Amino acid sequence: MDKVFSVARREFLATVRTKAFVLSVVLMPGIIVGAIYGSEWAERVGREETRAVRRIAIDDQTGVVLPEFLQQVAAYNAERPNQPLEIEPVSGAAAETEALAARVQRGELYGYMLIRPDAIALDGQGCTVARKDNQLETGRRLEQMINEAVYAVRCRDAGLDPAQIARLRQGVPIVWSDAQTGKAVGVNPVFQFLTPFAFMFLLFMGTFGISQGLLTTLIEEKGSRVIEVLLSAVSPLQLLAGKILGTVAVGFLLMAVWGGVGFASAQKYNVGELVTTYRLLVALAYFVPGFLLISSLLAAIGSACNELKDAQSMVFPLSLITIVPMVMWYYLAEHPQSIISVVASYIPPITPFVMILRVCADPHTPAWQVVSTLGLLWLSVLVTMWAAAKVFRVGVLMYGKPPSVRELARWVRYS
Amino acid sequence: MADALVLTGVTKRYGRFTAVDDFSLRLPTGEVLGFLGPNGAGKTTTLRMVMSIIYPDSGQIEVLGHSRASEVKDRIGYLPEERGLYRKMTVEETLNYFGRLKGLRGHTLHERINESLERIGLQDWRRKRVEALSKGMSQKLQFTSAILHRPELVILDEPFSGLDPLNVDLLERMLAELRRAGATVVFSTHQMNQAERLCDRIVLINRGRKVVDGLLTEIRERFATRVLEVDGRGALDDLARCPGVAAAQITAGHARLELADDTDPNAVLARAMQLARISRFEIQRPDLQEIFVKLVGSDGQMPVPAGRQEAVRG
Repeated sequence: MDKVFSVARREFLATVRTKAFVLSVVLMPGIIVGAIYGSEWAERVGREETRAVRRIAIDDQTGVVLPEFLQQVAAYNAERPNQPLEIEPVSGAAAETEALAARVQRGELYGYMLIRPDAIALDGQGCTVARKDNQLETGRRLEQMINEAVYAVRCRDAGLDPAQIARLRQGVPIVWSDAQTGKAVGVNPVFQFLTPFAFMFLLFMGTFGISQGLLTTLIEEKGSRVIEVLLSAVSPLQLLAGKILGTVAVGFLLMAVWGGVGFASAQKYNVGELVTTYRLLVALAYFVPGFLLISSLLAAIGSACNELKDAQSMVFPLSLITIVPMVMWYYLAEHPQSIISVVASYIPPITPFVMILRVCADPHTPAWQVVSTLGLLWLSVLVTMWAAAKVFRVGVLMYGKPPSVRELARWVRYS
Repeated sequence: MADALVLTGVTKRYGRFTAVDDFSLRLPTGEVLGFLGPNGAGKTTTLRMVMSIIYPDSGQIEVLGHSRASEVKDRIGYLPEERGLYRKMTVEETLNYFGRLKGLRGHTLHERINESLERIGLQDWRRKRVEALSKGMSQKLQFTSAILHRPELVILDEPFSGLDPLNVDLLERMLAELRRAGATVVFSTHQMNQAERLCDRIVLINRGRKVVDGLLTEIRERFATRVLEVDGRGALDDLARCPGVAAAQITAGHARLELADDTDPNAVLARAMQLARISRFEIQRPDLQEIFVKLVGSDGQMPVPAGRQEAVRG
């Protein structure tokens, strides 16, 4: 057992010291935190940026929309004094498309707009807008302003006060509360919906980001022929156990760091209630067997191959299966109790990911399903480790072309 | 003293190819055994079976009094033919790791590492990564890590292949030291001069079968080609007609005589002394190379079957 720990310790240190690991530990939370803060920051910077006046030529063929539109523009300029818009009414020859296009080309105009005669009519032809860039925000605001202006004209034609209608359409505050405790849930429903995905992603990255390391170290050990020296000191089983143990430790470290960052940011954004003890326990309960299953499969594959390329092509079918919960997460989280979700829970390599999604999406996922999926998962861990140990024993000393699946099966049967 | 290594009727097959065939051997404790044979003879397979890295299909192997080397791994040092180290580990970490795997701990481990590094002159490199070492340095580090735990039985598979002359010398000295310390040593080689210089005992294997085994001196005697060289003044020509001389090359003052199997060299010498005044007389010792070639013959080169994945070597 002592030697198993020595092997595990080396495996742990060898992985933790790689640049890839350091990057993944720091970078992943960095990217997530960066994505949250960064987008906020970028938006603020965008708002504060000062821009030259943007002049838009308008040919209002209705003759009534322009005054309303100017009011909208005035409101916009009050809101964004550093990025003002300027309107230049045009008509006749000056409103010809070629003339306007030439002015845009020369930089005199930001864009031009044609409000067609029947723009006010329902199902009318509306407006044509052209501008020199595709800036999303300005485009959206321009559309909105035209709509508001036409809407105000329509209201007035119908004898209604647009300001009053706006007041009447004020929203009703809704407080979401927990169905069991009755306590208010102060969390944005989008966050709530994304939580299962966040948990699954954590599990997924923790499992695959790390267990891949097993493949590379094994192939390195075979390639550099260290493996035979190792086997003179430890049995193949000890070696396999040590390597898996060391890798699990790396996985834990990674989960702890990412989980910690996730927990801390959940607290910061007052969504701490999403990271419940139950969810953490379930994540852990599925992480351990899931990791053991995947890593013993990878160890078996790694031991049988001599080149990363070969190993990767053998891993491909496994990756294909495990990508399923990634692709289907939306469905699984929206329909946690559907027959497809339940069936997918019983496919061992993806059980952890499917189950964490389901449990997070619906805390009332039947306990018998949790117990039976865990049971099946552990059973498959035992079977896989048994087979992996056999393949490993034969595989580690094999050099040359990688074995076919039939050969692998033979190793399991005969060794 | 008990035998360090006993192999009885050991056989290993890979599919239809028999790598080692009914191989038996007995090695007394404290002796140095040279394991000779052409490439593909089954040397590496045998050594791997001794190390319990692979298992024989039939037959028994007893290592240091145990039925499996796995029970006494910490008392054995092993240097495989294909040598490797972790490139990203430092010199010290490498020794530390292999020492630990062989059961060394704490103070003892630390001291052994210091001693060994000093011994091989790599103290200044202890914190350098293995990938930074020259080939010769990694070789030194290899042997050192194999014997850091002062094993009772040392198994070296082709230890001299690919070594520079300085390291050959270092390794020979290390072997001599191990032997003085009472360790039993097995090494495979196809370099006869080394075997002759270092071994007490020889086993020759070809096509998985043992061809000959015994003490080096006995083998020499047994396979002596029995060549007599005589220098002298007088009628040496007549020696060609002496009873028991199978063939003779005679020049002025020199005769090289090949004797028939049961001829006593002393009788021939007596005859020579009657014929001439002898200034030199020598019974030529056959060297291992000659014995090897004679026993293995021209079919000594055995191809490794194609398509086989395991390195079936030695």
